[in-house]
Amino acid sequence: MIDRRSIMDVLRTIPDPEMPISIVDLGLIESVEVAPSGDQSAVRVVALPTFVGCPALDMIRRDIEDRVGALPGVGSVRVQWVNDPPWSVDRISAAGRESLRAHGVTVPPHGNRLEVHGSATVALTVGAAAVPCPFCGSTKTRRESPFGPTRCRMIYYCDACRNSFEHLKRV
Amino acid sequence: MPELPEHLKKPFINLLLAAADDKLFLGHRNSEWTGLGPILEEDIAFSALAQDEMAHASALYELAGAIDGRSADQLAFGRAPGEYRCAAIVEVPDEFDWATAMARRLFCNHFDVLRLTRLSMSVYKPLADLARRLAAEQQAHVQHVDDWTMRLGSGTPESHRRIQQAIEALARIAPQLFEPVERQDQLVAAGLYPGDDLEMYDAWRAAVEHVLGRGHLSARLDDFNPEERGGRRGVHTVHLAPMLDEMCEVYRLEPDAAW
Repeated sequence: MIDRRSIMDVLRTIPDPEMPISIVDLGLIESVEVAPSGDQSAVRVVALPTFVGCPALDMIRRDIEDRVGALPGVGSVRVQWVNDPPWSVDRISAAGRESLRAHGVTVPPHGNRLEVHGSATVALTVGAAAVPCPFCGSTKTRRESPFGPTRCRMIYYCDACRNSFEHLKRV
Repeated sequence: MPELPEHLKKPFINLLLAAADDKLFLGHRNSEWTGLGPILEEDIAFSALAQDEMAHASALYELAGAIDGRSADQLAFGRAPGEYRCAAIVEVPDEFDWATAMARRLFCNHFDVLRLTRLSMSVYKPLADLARRLAAEQQAHVQHVDDWTMRLGSGTPESHRRIQQAIEALARIAPQLFEPVERQDQLVAAGLYPGDDLEMYDAWRAAVEHVLGRGHLSARLDDFNPEERGGRRGVHTVHLAPMLDEMCEVYRLEPDAAW
């Protein structure tokens, strides 16, 4: 039977369709299960959508099915999207954050998490710290638009180096 | 899917449809601004808002369809007007008035986040998990409309006058968002839609009035009358049918087509 590690190694080579980061570094993979199926293995990959109904989800699912399915000994691959636990930007790895930063996309720091509590309040605790520019490191930055090229990103502008950059929404 | 008591299936589906239909039509109304936004950033914003609402509606339709075997497309486009459960405020056209588009979203987005918060505590786990995700995404909508309402309210005399007029006009129908679906009391009692309507109404009014106050604006929001029949029980404004005709034009040509 194929081992989980070989499957994870393959998943690590699959990039997100819209950002320079692997789906493992993005924190999409919740678990990988391998069960015997005849003389082959049945693989189940449990994954978390970043944004509900994100159009990239189908592409990611196909990529996983194709790449893991090509491994020797794998008979079937099933990708299951679940909302529990919810995906959050806190699931992005340190390597993933660095890769995104190098390409001009910043990630909210750990800790400003969204809290759903009580019967009537959803409070977003926004960190007081400014978003540092991914190119020059300056904190003289401002949000140009809370919406951007994809549903998960916002547009920022750096007044110091005069570059615009993207910042992931805190979910 | 978890088991639902037979007698609660229909009311529960209607509850999901109310949430999905609000998002479908609000999303459609927002999408009408694509290409027409007053500035580029807001053109992008309204297109992104529309995309979010459509994605959320689709996820809720899938959940409802998993109970009675209909597809998300059938639920979104294949019903007669009387089978929709949206509130009047998402049906009326904004006549491409920027202030009206914003005022509508102020009432609807604050309502939506409170409703999603209640749904995130539902005993129906797939709904609770989904609603939690949707509530998190909805935060950006609330933040955006709050910012703009305050900005328009404290901008020029013209921007203040126009957003105030739009708020007043929509405040008359906004409380109908709270009309319960049929047998909603049983859904509340069963923990499928936990929470209290009156408490939610007070929280909604407080949130909306807080934003209005900061923008030097005001609205007279009457208490809602749960007896008055409206969109949640299939009684709609004259605007719904023509909007549906427009939205369904392609779907109706070949309802079973695979895309």
